[in-house]
Amino acid sequence: MAPWLATGLIYASALALTAGGITLLYMSTRTFNFAHASMATLGFYVVYSGAVLGGGVPYKYFPLAFLVGGVLGVICYYGLNRPLLRRGAVEITLMMSTLGYDLILLSVIQMYCDYLTFSRKLFPRRVSMNVFDFELFGVNAASVILPLVAIVFLTGLHLFLVKTKFGVAMRATIENPVLAGASGINSDRVYMSAWIIGGGMAALGGAAMSMAVTGTPVLGMNSIPFMFAGAILGGLHSLYGGILGGFVVGLTEYAGVFYLSQKFGPWVLGYRMGVPLLLMAATLLIFPRGLAGIPWAVLFGNLAGIAGKKRGAKA
Amino acid sequence: MLTINKLNAGYGKLQVLYDLSIEVPEKGITVVVGPNGAGKTTLLCSIMGIANVTSGEILFEGGSLQNLPTHLLAKKGISYVPQMKNVFADLSVRDNLQMAGYLLPFDEAKKKAEQMTEMFPVLKKFIDRKAVTLSGGERRMLAVAMGLMKNPKLMLLDELSTDLAPIIAEKVIMEVARLRDELGITILLVEQMAKRALEIGDTAYLLVSGGVKFAGKSLELLNEPELCNMYLGIKQPAAAQTLTEGGA
Repeated sequence: MAPWLATGLIYASALALTAGGITLLYMSTRTFNFAHASMATLGFYVVYSGAVLGGGVPYKYFPLAFLVGGVLGVICYYGLNRPLLRRGAVEITLMMSTLGYDLILLSVIQMYCDYLTFSRKLFPRRVSMNVFDFELFGVNAASVILPLVAIVFLTGLHLFLVKTKFGVAMRATIENPVLAGASGINSDRVYMSAWIIGGGMAALGGAAMSMAVTGTPVLGMNSIPFMFAGAILGGLHSLYGGILGGFVVGLTEYAGVFYLSQKFGPWVLGYRMGVPLLLMAATLLIFPRGLAGIPWAVLFGNLAGIAGKKRGAKA
Repeated sequence: MLTINKLNAGYGKLQVLYDLSIEVPEKGITVVVGPNGAGKTTLLCSIMGIANVTSGEILFEGGSLQNLPTHLLAKKGISYVPQMKNVFADLSVRDNLQMAGYLLPFDEAKKKAEQMTEMFPVLKKFIDRKAVTLSGGERRMLAVAMGLMKNPKLMLLDELSTDLAPIIAEKVIMEVARLRDELGITILLVEQMAKRALEIGDTAYLLVSGGVKFAGKSLELLNEPELCNMYLGIKQPAAAQTLTEGGA
């Protein structure tokens, strides 16, 4: 596998996780979570701290990163989101409150970096996590493990939402909170769970992202436009759409732009940030409801029909 | 079973109900009728804790329901079937029934869901289909089945006949009478199809501009030509008498 494609897959998997988290939080509590940026960065610092201070491969600290992200989600829900929702806050207020939370988290990250710099004599403000990685099947382990982590996690999440009683209750509450409440479902518990999962996905995504790009205190801040682009490309009202949107944006931004630069020259690299956003805009112009709004079944049915006709003509 | 005293309620700064008092006796159908905007749905929303109650009291089996979150009302045995969005459109019929029986233990919920599919055979036919694909009448059947899943003591039914073809609406209203007669459930029925609802009801309240204009027996209201003509659009109130004499 070409190194640019391998790194692109890691980055795309990370964005799929973070965009999925953004979509889940928007669907459940109408909140565009800007704090996803610093939650992702903190996920990276959990894994970095574990690898530097605790030793071993970085992947074993990924579950811890998810837990930290979940705790940050719970703090955001009970500290900001829930009180505002109860006062009937509009979406912009909810969004701005998460921006405030993000700035607080960013300050905490800076303080923690200072601590690592001055007390532990480390260099946490510019980290290449590749140095902690190992080789697997002739390539960096991250390019094998991280897409697998994303697939396993997202499959688990899908099974949770479809097969478990509480997962179905989450979907029910997201769709119709009044009816869910009348059915005896505690919506408060559902929203809190959404913030645990959403926050966890942000941190997990940030940890995964640091294996593809340089880890800095603004790792998440630099990627937040693409996290949102992925969620919006997915249509905002479908978790699976958000995950797919994140993956497409990530792959386009990293692997797609690199591939184009090889074809048309290095000047394309200067437009790295613009290409996925252009893709998002073009997709939304054709399919206003995003990737989730594309009639995939009809599309595949038509393609299968065309293929069948071609086979028939050849015979 | 349910007593509402001097209730003032609405949404935000908009007051809809003014000093409203009603009494829902056990094991009967209490029908609430009235013109659009009278506050019928707001009354149910106030009971369920969805509308803002500014003053007054709502008592269920002697205990106050005020300030209780909606999900705790289900635990107390109150079941609510809203007028719109009364099923989870994106879930299958099976999942809808499972969610409606959320508070029941797994085995009991499964058994109850089977009972519901026997009671409403159309649901059995579409058990794995998403609720969004059901017709209006089938959705109402599912909504009522969901209401029954909780083994309710009291059912609040909001305009079950809205948007249904007359023949289907008739069938749905008759199902409500069956719930009282066969299962002994207490029902508070808000209905636009006033004549039919009053014919199956026991007690009736006519709501006008957020207050009670009439309170009494259902058939008594049907025999009030002025009120029926002015507020309910019923032109021949005498029909009720004939129906009663006929043994309905």
